[in-house]
Amino acid sequence: MSIDRRHFLRLAAAAPFLTTPLAAAERYLLQVNGYPLNAETPLELLTDYLTPNDLFFIRSHWIPRMPDAKTWRLTIDGDVARPLSLSLAELKKLPRVETTCVLQCAGNGRALHDPVLPGVQWKYGAVGNARWSGVRVRDVLQRAGIRATAKHLHLFGSDDPPGKVPPFHRSIELEKALEDCILAYEMNGAPLPQSHGAPLRLVVPGWAGDHWMKWLVKLTASAKPQSGFYMDTAYRWPLKPGQPGVSFKPEEMRPVTEIAVKSNIIAAPTVARVGVPVEIRGFAFSGAPDIQRVDLTDDDGASWKPATLDVRHSAHAWRLWSFRWTPRRAGTARLAARATDSRGAVQPRTAVWNQSGYFFNAWQSIDIEVKG
Amino acid sequence: MNIVLALILAATLPTAGTQFQQLPDGKGKAEVEAACYTCHSADLLAQQRLNEKQWTATVEKMMRWGAVVEPAGKDVVVKYLARHFGPGNKFTPAKVKPQ
Repeated sequence: MSIDRRHFLRLAAAAPFLTTPLAAAERYLLQVNGYPLNAETPLELLTDYLTPNDLFFIRSHWIPRMPDAKTWRLTIDGDVARPLSLSLAELKKLPRVETTCVLQCAGNGRALHDPVLPGVQWKYGAVGNARWSGVRVRDVLQRAGIRATAKHLHLFGSDDPPGKVPPFHRSIELEKALEDCILAYEMNGAPLPQSHGAPLRLVVPGWAGDHWMKWLVKLTASAKPQSGFYMDTAYRWPLKPGQPGVSFKPEEMRPVTEIAVKSNIIAAPTVARVGVPVEIRGFAFSGAPDIQRVDLTDDDGASWKPATLDVRHSAHAWRLWSFRWTPRRAGTARLAARATDSRGAVQPRTAVWNQSGYFFNAWQSIDIEVKG
Repeated sequence: MNIVLALILAATLPTAGTQFQQLPDGKGKAEVEAACYTCHSADLLAQQRLNEKQWTATVEKMMRWGAVVEPAGKDVVVKYLARHFGPGNKFTPAKVKPQ
């Protein structure tokens, strides 16, 4: 097999980030709810640039009525000149596009907020990076003749809850939907798995998972945003930080949109020796298109040293990073990682407490026992 | 990893979503199961670390959403949840084999 120089250099640059495929018995998710299924990825298994489909975290609000791909159709209605009903085969005739980007549940890290909060107690692994393939929302809406009066796109999936429980209905600003959102029918080159929204889900690069509607059945263009519990009460973020434990009033909050800058440590030794370098690895992501840098500290933030960023990247994808650390003295060393995104936002020491527990992004630290 | 151990682990890890946590026995268990299991499994309860005030607010929210709790039974449900899943509660998620 021949390999050109550019490809070789790219592979060589990525070499520190290449990992050995995991044995079957080592692959698992951590179940935080059996039904509807919610499960996170153990942090130590998030080692790949593309998170494998079977290791990708699963978030479900309600048990979905799984659409049958053969009879399934996507309805596009509302503020459009030509309402549409498209089969999967008809959708696939539109230009195919791909985007690689991070999907993170807004509540990832809720378990780490202090004071504690009710809700799914995600720790670190409600996040992953995948290559999504499908069609542009823009292409579908143009085909339907989207009207200038439309400002929002209402999203409906097939996961209706029982009784009086509010349905997980959402909407997204049309400007964002037209900018870079896609309707994905493939994930990492495979048909979109059922647990990830087959046959079709929305992909919203840079924005939290609450917008990434699964099991899509209808898109409705409208002048107004969707209303209901999952718009008016849930998925809201404080305009400015407040006192931990004190709930914000509705007027002090706005909808959750872009994910907050964050890095996680996925691999590090537990024991090291003075003077002998060790490797620490992780990933970093943000709602901004790229990560500018990741730095590590071993003196509680008094000084920082830069990690090496992996070359693999596309807009809103995560960056793998590695850091070579040489212990200077014996004892327990505490290291923390901090990401800075391409807009200059810096990961904070302490996350902004909010009553729904969204966007926990405080520095993650690890302890390494250093022997003399 | 030892191949025998690997095979045993592979055989025992359940398919995602098929292993449900059981609630601990105690007064109120039946009421909690009747109220909560329509919408979610026990895991969602067993991972919480809420005080009685937070449990009261959560149970009231769920009653507004249709959880079947007799008015006289609300206290039993709240007390059960606060006793078993209060501050300091430890939760170990089940390891499930991805599909």
